[in-house]
Amino acid sequence: MRKEISIWFFGGVLFLIYGVIICLEGLWELSHPLVNPPVLNNLHAPIWWGALMGIAGLAYTIRFWPRLR
Amino acid sequence: MPFSALDVLAYFDSPGKTLAHLNTVDIAVIAIYFGVVIFIGFYLKGSANTSEEFFMAGREMTAWIAGLSFVSANLGSLELMGWAGSAYQYGILATHWYWIGAIPAMLFLGIIMMPFYYISKVNSVPGYLHLRYGDGARALSAVSFAFMTVLMSGINMYSMALVMKVVLGWNLNFSIWVSSITVALYVGLGGLRSAIYNEVLQFLLIWLGALLVPILGLIEAGGWTSLKQQIGARMGSEYVHMWGTTAHFNGNPMGIHWTGLVFGLALVISCGYWTTDFLVVQRVLSANNLRSARMAPIIGAAFKMAVPFIVILPGLLALAVLPYHLVGESQAVATGQHSYNEVLPLMLVRYCGPGLLGLGVTALIAGFMSGMAGNVSAFSTVWTYDIYGAFLNKKATDKHYVAMGRWCTFIGVLISVGTAYLVQHAASIMDYVQGLFSFFIAPLFGTVILGMLWKRTTKAGGFWGLLAGTCTAIGLFLWVHFDPSALRYVALSPDAKTLAEDMYRALWSWLVCVIVTVVVSYMTKPKPVSELEGLVYGVVPLPVEHDDHWYQKPIVWAGTIAVLFVILNIIFW
Repeated sequence: MRKEISIWFFGGVLFLIYGVIICLEGLWELSHPLVNPPVLNNLHAPIWWGALMGIAGLAYTIRFWPRLR
Repeated sequence: MPFSALDVLAYFDSPGKTLAHLNTVDIAVIAIYFGVVIFIGFYLKGSANTSEEFFMAGREMTAWIAGLSFVSANLGSLELMGWAGSAYQYGILATHWYWIGAIPAMLFLGIIMMPFYYISKVNSVPGYLHLRYGDGARALSAVSFAFMTVLMSGINMYSMALVMKVVLGWNLNFSIWVSSITVALYVGLGGLRSAIYNEVLQFLLIWLGALLVPILGLIEAGGWTSLKQQIGARMGSEYVHMWGTTAHFNGNPMGIHWTGLVFGLALVISCGYWTTDFLVVQRVLSANNLRSARMAPIIGAAFKMAVPFIVILPGLLALAVLPYHLVGESQAVATGQHSYNEVLPLMLVRYCGPGLLGLGVTALIAGFMSGMAGNVSAFSTVWTYDIYGAFLNKKATDKHYVAMGRWCTFIGVLISVGTAYLVQHAASIMDYVQGLFSFFIAPLFGTVILGMLWKRTTKAGGFWGLLAGTCTAIGLFLWVHFDPSALRYVALSPDAKTLAEDMYRALWSWLVCVIVTVVVSYMTKPKPVSELEGLVYGVVPLPVEHDDHWYQKPIVWAGTIAVLFVILNIIFW
């Protein structure tokens, strides 16, 4: 029987998914520049912000993975 | 004539120009968020079978979860977008609502008041009033709280939908119905535990979605010192000082005096909200032991102190970097310009491209949902325990009360939706929100604090004090409303502005409550001391907590945060 899933696990999974999506979008924009880029687009925020979210999300997903009771 | 699918879609369609468009990635980010919050509701449905589980989350929350939920329930859309707009309008003075208007009260709740709430095992703040003062004070407090809760929830809902309409072109009906049905589903299914779990998730999302704006904004502005210089040049130096300009009402953009901030905001409004508003106190009451219950508001205070970074700073940055001026709501409607309340989404659009924009919009939606879930879960608890269970049906089964709580959640959401539509047609209600808030919360704080700290307070004293304080607040409001020159008496200066008036009105109504409570208490017979155990300071010793190390003591962390609070106020003086 599994223990109740921790809220931190939900948070980890959500951040991991968001991190991957946003980072991939940032990488896609390198080869397909935006028509109307936001201010400071040259800093490529989606790449590093997405990567940071993904790493934090992965750490929390592993740390709070639901285990058997 | 029957509705077709096209008719329904047309109802949600919103023609017109918008500031930003969401692409597929943004929509995916938002859709994943909705999927997760609804999944949590279904997942936790099995953990909300008894009233203790449904209304109090089984009292199993850790200090961290209760603490984050405590702050998150307060971070509604008015709190996020409204105060970012206030920062644009009034400058750094708006930070007072996050620091002196929150931190001392949260620490006071954790260190002084929480033991009484927790060891009395009450389910709500009106429940405490019942034990201390009897049914009269409980009924007055429960009815006013229920009214305020659904009103605030509706106003929050409308303000979010309005911003989504202006910035993203979303139809008002779409925003209101989709978000409120989602909240009703996850709170109705999983009760307070589901609300709390989602609030923690929403708190994290708010931070991640909004944090890039101040980071990129500071890079664009050239750092904090350069930002201050730019704001000073464009607006005047009074926009970047928190205390230095408050010696005179007319010396700052808010029309406020430091006495109002210290006595009205910090002593009365803030203590009233953070220590007696059941919306936030309910989160702490769900803690798994007394130590967690004391630590939760202290952890919450630490995070609350950081919130200006994602709310106030974007408003200040907008003063320096936006190439156009924002205006008040009524002028925005008349001229088509952007209003102060739109500053946070405008800054998101400025810095965030596809993906990040979706995350930012999710943060705004999460803020709205956490505020609304807080309101409806508190409403259903107070209705079920303190109105229905206390006066209408005292002998129902536990199962019946849980069913009532679930129905109340849906009914509370429906009333909130109705309020949102009412606000849409009577926008002036928005102007009175702060005022309405102080009608009930300031005198309630007087009643609760006297009940907790003074054995001599009587049942009659509590009831008449609360009633007199509430009537005083309403009377002062009506006096200034019909005779604006009365402002010189109510707010001590004809130069005072709305927020200053609210503070002084709260202070006077609290004073009247305290004076009437004391006078009536001396004229009436007090309860025997044996009936006050666990309710009043000094009657019986409080349970001693055995911490293994000095750094585990709540007082150590409260002291650390208090020192940090003082340092921050000096830095931004």
